[in-house]
Amino acid sequence: MSAPATLKATSRTMVIDGNEAAAWGAALSRPDVVAVYPITPQSSLVEYLAKFIAEGKMDAELMDVEGEHSVLSVLHGACLAGGRTYSATSAQGLAYMFEPYFRTPGLRLPMVVSLVTRDSVTPCCVWGGQQDAMTVKEVGWIQMYCETQQEICDSIPIAYKVAEHADVMLPVNVCHDGNYLSYGVARVDLPEQEVVDAFLGEKNVNWHACLDPERPMAVDPLTGGAGGIGPSTFVRYRKGQCAGMAAALDVIVAAHEDWGRRTGRYWSPLIEDYRMEDAEVALVTIGSMTGAAKDAVDDARLDGRKVGLVKIKTFRPFPAKVIAKALSKVKAVGVVDRAVNFGWNCGPVFQEVLAALYANPTRVPLISFIGGLAGADITPEHFGRAIADTVRVAAGETMSSPIWLNEFDQ
Amino acid sequence: MPEAKYLLVGSSHAGLEALRAIRRLDADGSMAMLTKDSQLPYSPTVLPYVMSGRSKPDAVILRDRAFFDETGCVYAPGQAAQSLDTKARLVTLADGVQWRYERLLIATGAAPAIPPIPGLQSVPFHVLRTLDDAVNLRTRMGLARRAVVLGAGLVGLHAAETLAEAGLAVSVIEMKNQVLPGYIDAKASERIEAAFASHGIKLLLGRTATQVAALDGGVSVTTDDGRAIEGDMLLVATGVKSCTEWLAGSGVEIDRGVLVDDRMRTSAADVWAAGDVAQGLDFASGERQVLGIIPTAVEQGRIAGFDMAGDAKQKPWAGGLPVNTYRFFGRPAVSVGQAAAEGDGFEVVEQEQPRKYRRIVLADNRLVGIITVDDPFDAGIMGELIRRRVDLGAMKDAFLADPTQVGRRLMSEMWR
Amino acid sequence: MSIAFDTIAFRAPKCDGCGECMKACSAVKQGASRISIVPGASAGAFEMALCRQCGDPKCVMVCPAGALTKNGASGVIDWSADKCVDCLLCTSGCAYGAISADPVGGRVIKCDQCGGDPACVSACPSGALEWGGAGSIYNRFGEMEDMFVPGLAGCQGCNSELIMRHVMRRVGRNSVLATPPGCIPGMGSVGYNGKTGTKVPVFHPLLTNTASMLAGIRRYYDKVGRKDIVVMALAGDGGTVDCGFHAVSGAAERGEKILYVCVDNEGYMNTGMQRSGATPYGSWTSTTPVGDKLKGKTQDAKNMPMIMVAHRAAYVATASTAYMEELYDKLDRAIEASFKGFSYLHIYSPCPTGWRVASNKVIEACRMSVESNFVTLWEYTPEAGLRFTRSPDRPIPVVDYARTIGKYRHLDADQLAHIQAKVDEQVALLKRLAGEVATAPAALAAAPARTSTPDGAATPPLRHETFRP
Repeated sequence: MSAPATLKATSRTMVIDGNEAAAWGAALSRPDVVAVYPITPQSSLVEYLAKFIAEGKMDAELMDVEGEHSVLSVLHGACLAGGRTYSATSAQGLAYMFEPYFRTPGLRLPMVVSLVTRDSVTPCCVWGGQQDAMTVKEVGWIQMYCETQQEICDSIPIAYKVAEHADVMLPVNVCHDGNYLSYGVARVDLPEQEVVDAFLGEKNVNWHACLDPERPMAVDPLTGGAGGIGPSTFVRYRKGQCAGMAAALDVIVAAHEDWGRRTGRYWSPLIEDYRMEDAEVALVTIGSMTGAAKDAVDDARLDGRKVGLVKIKTFRPFPAKVIAKALSKVKAVGVVDRAVNFGWNCGPVFQEVLAALYANPTRVPLISFIGGLAGADITPEHFGRAIADTVRVAAGETMSSPIWLNEFDQ
Repeated sequence: MPEAKYLLVGSSHAGLEALRAIRRLDADGSMAMLTKDSQLPYSPTVLPYVMSGRSKPDAVILRDRAFFDETGCVYAPGQAAQSLDTKARLVTLADGVQWRYERLLIATGAAPAIPPIPGLQSVPFHVLRTLDDAVNLRTRMGLARRAVVLGAGLVGLHAAETLAEAGLAVSVIEMKNQVLPGYIDAKASERIEAAFASHGIKLLLGRTATQVAALDGGVSVTTDDGRAIEGDMLLVATGVKSCTEWLAGSGVEIDRGVLVDDRMRTSAADVWAAGDVAQGLDFASGERQVLGIIPTAVEQGRIAGFDMAGDAKQKPWAGGLPVNTYRFFGRPAVSVGQAAAEGDGFEVVEQEQPRKYRRIVLADNRLVGIITVDDPFDAGIMGELIRRRVDLGAMKDAFLADPTQVGRRLMSEMWR
Repeated sequence: MSIAFDTIAFRAPKCDGCGECMKACSAVKQGASRISIVPGASAGAFEMALCRQCGDPKCVMVCPAGALTKNGASGVIDWSADKCVDCLLCTSGCAYGAISADPVGGRVIKCDQCGGDPACVSACPSGALEWGGAGSIYNRFGEMEDMFVPGLAGCQGCNSELIMRHVMRRVGRNSVLATPPGCIPGMGSVGYNGKTGTKVPVFHPLLTNTASMLAGIRRYYDKVGRKDIVVMALAGDGGTVDCGFHAVSGAAERGEKILYVCVDNEGYMNTGMQRSGATPYGSWTSTTPVGDKLKGKTQDAKNMPMIMVAHRAAYVATASTAYMEELYDKLDRAIEASFKGFSYLHIYSPCPTGWRVASNKVIEACRMSVESNFVTLWEYTPEAGLRFTRSPDRPIPVVDYARTIGKYRHLDADQLAHIQAKVDEQVALLKRLAGEVATAPAALAAAPARTSTPDGAATPPLRHETFRP
């Protein structure tokens, strides 16, 4: 076994785009095997990885395979053999990856895959949006959405910490928005390698299921069926998977807390409250849109409106309780989505928030805003309109939902 | 008291094959082989060659000591069985030692039958049944000029040839009108007789010895036609009889030999018999006969061994088939089955050529016997055709023309 | 464990009675031939008599002189000229006509296998005589551990189970085994409800990602220095040539160091006998049924091993369970090659259930598929190129093979002609790749450009070349 290479960034502070930030976050996490296949807007991310490995900055096996299906498949193999694994994909790549993707949580493989979120064809489009990630929200992966380049970089080691936790053992998608985060450049402070090493500790990714001649076993024997112990065996697996997902909420909070202590950067693990103390209406956002939304909230506050904001970082598992609590005192909620829920004619985050609020004793109106599809910008003005609409709803007005924020952009 | 789960009395072909069969089913059961011979196992059939000097006495053993060690069988030479108590399951030896057995195989073979000829018991004569006999004969013939042989069976003819080749003047007296009576037909016999005659051996066929008298250093044998045949040595080779004396009073049923059923069981519980001592089924007649040949001894030994070891799957034995392979002055005479048969129900095809002779006997379009002189064939294949009662059908003519080729073809097809 | 011995095998249908074996034997032994070829039941058919070197030899037991002994080391029944008294009793003990008197000299003669390199086999031009190495295989592998549970639920006569057990016995415990969905895990190799059916690490990959998962396993183990593990698949043809093709092709292109064994039963037998890209032309399957309008599959099979050659895989070979010595030889080389690059072994595996073949005729079907060139046996490395491991010369007609397989029962003359032409074309191509001059296949010879030359030579001039892409 070769000595682990020490990552040497040219500078602790860099000005880089989100894809490079993700690449650094991955590199600092020392995956054993990295599999790559290019897709817009993820391509530069895997190019950075390949470059790091080529330059010896990163001691990982680079597997540049023939498609995303194999990207995840080789990582399945590597992970079952005992390796820490990483990749990134987007949109059609995720769709092509779906067969092994679908299987990953069931195998309880603690891998981390960045989703550089994008609207998927058709209509043909290669720009940002979250339809890809939102479409796979029921597959069983943990999903964390980042707001900034720095958060991307930091969230990848955090994701490994969560994924590999013995109570969790589930794969994590660290999502960052295509275009705005993938290509947008910002200052990023790279954590020290030693800090990340100490944070992650010894990896143990296949204690539960492995493909190792020293511990021979059958991985994934047939189960289920109409009778005998098959169905109950299957139920035990499924229940365990759900328990892992449920346990992840606490683990995510603890991991963020731990990361904050080591780096000084305390990211909100599940949701972030912004000016919610006395808010009468609230926006709910997810991902990179949040910055513009916060500006709009600030503007509204200047106008004397009591507006707050809840940003969702962890979407899977869904932090229903903390969201319900955060929104328990407002009179109306406007949820801004960058994707569509076709079945309910609303945004997917909207639907989740709506369900979460059912636990609260007081019913408040919610309104679904859908914006930022296919690379569209959601500007402070868009958010301003959203706030205004939410305020009107809070006053008892009925509005047609969803509201398509970019519908009349020219 | 020594004891064995399997006690085998006798050390020739039947006993050795039984040993092998038992060990295939029972690797560990205690086993002992007792023999009155003082040597390691040998075959009586090889003795004429020891007599002739072709085989060295120490080179004819069939199994060495290591074999008995490997198979876990106690080999006890020089142990002549004296009596059998089937109730107590005891075999008593000449020296009084008693062996207890769980299962007993009687494979004591046969001994020369000495005919009741007046005077014979009072003159020195030879027999050829043991290795010692063969060595003695060889020594004696070196000192003699003339020899008289009683009996023109296989032993008699082999010995006569050897004696003649050694330069002795040899006379052979045979009761029947041909040599090898019972084995071969008259025409085959004629060819053998001619060969003996051409080598200067006097064959007195159809003659009975009526008196034997001592002569100065030799014997004089008077025949029923009043002639006196003189010799420096006398070999009695008038056949053999099964060695059953020691079974007297044991309750084991005996006729000409120990009577056995189709699994080689005797009338006594847990007692089997095989080989020249046994009187078992004859394939052709369906009656019980003493066949006294090696192939039958081997078959019987194997069946007995498997049955002793408790093999429940054995098929009943179909009976023994006469097989004889004989060489005279280098020439082969081979017979299988009812080679000399004739009469109703038999189709006999005799092929007489100057340099070879063949006689094929069919019944119901099936081979039942074959004999050749100077034309050796695949005796094993012919035996299979007879035992399996293979209908030659349309192949009959081809078979008659070339039994070897057609036989090989039939067997090749059958085994494939 | 008792030891087993190699033997001379006789393939009666191949024998044309030329007698070269007997001449060779006579010459080597300076006497009559120990092997005897005799006319058979019909014109042109032949039978053989030769010592079987019985394990329970009657000739030995009836010999009164101790002249015959079963040699425990070689398996040969040795004959001692010194001890033999020429009594011929041994001939009565042999039901094969394999020990007999030499007409000249009169002593008995029998085969001694020429010390393991029999002259008759070398001299046989038709392939009717073969030196069978099954005994050596047994000695080498008989005591090796079977890697599967005893009660795998394969169909009676399943050839794939045979392949699984033989292959894994050879590969051993230091391995990781992928068995993608199909009969191989279906019969229980990955087990049920948390229990395994295999002693080595085993898993269901997806039908589509076998080679990729293996590649990931291998890369990780290589990275951590555990380079001696055999990382391998026992995969069906569907997952290999159809939906898993991208993974196989990608792994081969990247030179991933894995052993990929394709067990080709020519379709999706486990799911109810649907056609795959490896299903041959004319085959009945449940998705290429036989009716008034359709008569089985209307396309030829994809030639996966050739595709692997085009990838310049480190090792490519075809094998058949009718030729186990070869299969084991190739397995040795395939395992070796899997530590250097992508190693591909394609084993044909008739399915008694899906092909409508009697379970006791499966190996016969394997053999006839090879004898008819429907299946060709060869191997390839980038260094040495392609070579036949069994000569494709003197094939039996494909129709003889097709007649033994139920899924071809409906074929008409045109369809059979199509298959024969396809087989001939494949052999011609392989011969070119192997650097051999091909005899003109019927399909090519019929084409105007390749008609007979004026002097009547029907063989088109082909260049000698060895295929080294």
